[in-house]
Amino acid sequence: MKKIILLFIAIILVSCSSSPRTEVAGNVDLDNLQPLPTPEGYEAVPLRVAIAAVISPKGTLESYSPFLKYLETKLNRPVELIQRRTYLEINDLIERGEVDVAFVCTSAYVQGHDTFGMELLVAPQVNGETTYNSMLIVPADSTAQSMADLRGKVFAFTDPISLSGRVYPTYVVQQLGFTPEEFFARTFFTYSHDEAIRAVASRVADGAAVDSLVFEFALARDPSLKDKVRVIHTSPDFGIPPVVVSPFTRPQVKAELESLLLNMVDDPAAQEALSAVEIDRFVLIDDSAYDGVRALVSDIPIPETP
Amino acid sequence: MIFQKLIQRFWDLAGAVSIRTKILGIVLGLVVLFGVVVTIQARYALTATMTAQLEEQSASISRDLAARSTDPILLNDLLRLHDLLDETLANNPNVRYAFLVDSRGQVIANTFQGGFPLDLLSLNPVQPNEHHHTVLIQTDEGLVWDTAVPILDGKIGTARIGLSDASVRAAVSTLTVQFLITIALVSAAGILVAVFLTWILTRPILSLANATQAVAKGDFSPRVKRWANDEIGDLADAFNIMTEELARTDELRREREALRRQLLEKVITTQEDERRRIARELHDSTSQNLTSLIVGLRIMETHCAQCAAKAKASDLRQVASHTLDEVHDLSMRLRPRVLDDLGLAAALERLVSEWQARYKIPVDVVIQLSERLPGEIETAIYRIVQEALTNIARHAQAHSASILVERRGDIVRVIVEDNGIGFNINTNQEERHLGLLGMRERAELLNGTLTVESAPEHGTSIFIEIPLNPSLPMREGPGRRAEPVEAVREKPHDSPCACPPR
Repeated sequence: MKKIILLFIAIILVSCSSSPRTEVAGNVDLDNLQPLPTPEGYEAVPLRVAIAAVISPKGTLESYSPFLKYLETKLNRPVELIQRRTYLEINDLIERGEVDVAFVCTSAYVQGHDTFGMELLVAPQVNGETTYNSMLIVPADSTAQSMADLRGKVFAFTDPISLSGRVYPTYVVQQLGFTPEEFFARTFFTYSHDEAIRAVASRVADGAAVDSLVFEFALARDPSLKDKVRVIHTSPDFGIPPVVVSPFTRPQVKAELESLLLNMVDDPAAQEALSAVEIDRFVLIDDSAYDGVRALVSDIPIPETP
Repeated sequence: MIFQKLIQRFWDLAGAVSIRTKILGIVLGLVVLFGVVVTIQARYALTATMTAQLEEQSASISRDLAARSTDPILLNDLLRLHDLLDETLANNPNVRYAFLVDSRGQVIANTFQGGFPLDLLSLNPVQPNEHHHTVLIQTDEGLVWDTAVPILDGKIGTARIGLSDASVRAAVSTLTVQFLITIALVSAAGILVAVFLTWILTRPILSLANATQAVAKGDFSPRVKRWANDEIGDLADAFNIMTEELARTDELRREREALRRQLLEKVITTQEDERRRIARELHDSTSQNLTSLIVGLRIMETHCAQCAAKAKASDLRQVASHTLDEVHDLSMRLRPRVLDDLGLAAALERLVSEWQARYKIPVDVVIQLSERLPGEIETAIYRIVQEALTNIARHAQAHSASILVERRGDIVRVIVEDNGIGFNINTNQEERHLGLLGMRERAELLNGTLTVESAPEHGTSIFIEIPLNPSLPMREGPGRRAEPVEAVREKPHDSPCACPPR
């Protein structure tokens, strides 16, 4: 009788210790906390490339990866991609010399050039032009025909200092005799152009102004957008967002980069990198190309902080 | 072989316990077996289901974390990353830890406070093209499901989540405790049911057993109640019928026995009376006649002068004298007058002295009787001793014998012993058996007992006890008669009687 009772107890005890189905990969003492090791430095000093959030950080990484890879190969040094939420943060990094080269927005260049001496390196040429526009978009089924029809609606800005995304539409609203706060029921910032397109396509916003280059790029990638959004207004031509260097960038680096970028068009190995960002080639450009923008920006106050 | 031994062991166990224990064993055994099996099954199923859920949850939470941390990592928004990890930890109680590793393997953000368990980093390597990779990690706090999800195909890093199985263990423990409590409660109910069942089942059986014991003791009065209309009820009916039949048979047997005893008594009494009458006739009439004849012959002898007639008369007188002796002897053996006139002691002493004279075997006789006994008892004892002495002379080949007759309170005890060849009591020797039977019948007619102890080469002892008050039964009932003891008495040391030493 005792043996039977012992057998039962054994069965119960065995069943109490549930056995794991999968093999254990290893043992870790979760309370044994140690300081994290200091990151090992790069073998060579990396080239720090900042790209303003014209499109979302993820989209930027995907589009610019071949380009950065090309730079890495050609310069034979690591390239570090630096992204920030706003254009102003990128401008701050350039001003403090924490990046070597940057893709910035037109108005960010104008502001950077005029306040701390941001230097033009080259400008991309897209579809044979070195200009771009701001496009006013609404949902495809919207009845709005112009900015005037968007009164009392929800409007999506991209970045506080974006020319195409905020400065120009604000200018248009001002021409109608309002401030954006008075004119729209509500406004918000998406901090990138592709997000602004998404906001309109999904009717979160009744309208938005976006970079024509980004819009075309987005259309090319997702043709169904044509059924979701409609362009109701296109701005005059503005100087294209340039490639700039920090005032702290060494002249040799600047010269090396300039030559590399200008010669990309002739390098078969660079074609994939160029087509990924939809750029024909890089060309030299004079600061005067941005004078029109400069005049527009001077009328529109740019907030120091978003 | 082992199986057979097990079965034998089981039967030994099952056979050794009462019906109550058997029923309890069946009920409790079934309840506990069922409960344990169900508990094990439920634990297994619950553990499997919850573990699968945990694994799934681990994958989904880390996928979510990876998706939400993409932009903050790209934008170097460390504060947002910390918020994300804290939210993940706060919203999912199962999450033990979460951390983010960049593409170079550096920890960008983690939920550990004031350090990091560095061993954890290398434990779950994930390929950039994998959806997610989950491994099981043994930690000091139990098992942890660790899932790694590459962020943007591993280009910018990896999100790692650890889900503790504490909730699974807690749920399984709670379930087990609940099941065990249920088993205990059901077992308690089972015990009550078993006790009730046992009562229902054993009540008629016990009453049957009690009634059977009463019947075995000769009491045919108890009747068993028919408790239920089942097999045991049928048995009870059959038992009652049997008891009635037994009672009737017993009554008949008793009547016959009484009749037989009456008859025997009458036969013995008649025999004694007849012997006494014949003895008296022989003594009073035949002896007198013979004496007269002898006297006549003597006178004739004296007065007859003729030698031939004188010699003839002398011969005749001698024949008559011899015949007178034989008549005396016959009368004596038929019924010694001394038994009626002087009592048992004198009669026995005379019997023994004649027996010694005839067989040349010394006999010690001790008779301790302060007064005369009732006539039928004296006769019975006399006849029994007579028969015993005849047996000794015929069969025992003894060198000596002893006879003790004493009165102890209301009991007369007689012991006849010899140091002869003895015999095996169990073997049936027709002649001796009949002799013993006759002695026993005489003792029992007076409500007495007769016991024989003997063994080959160890002599024979016959014990007789007869109550003086015949209405009182003997202390030692028929049991002693039923089982004759085969034993050797170390004479005279442990003999219950005061036998004189030889």
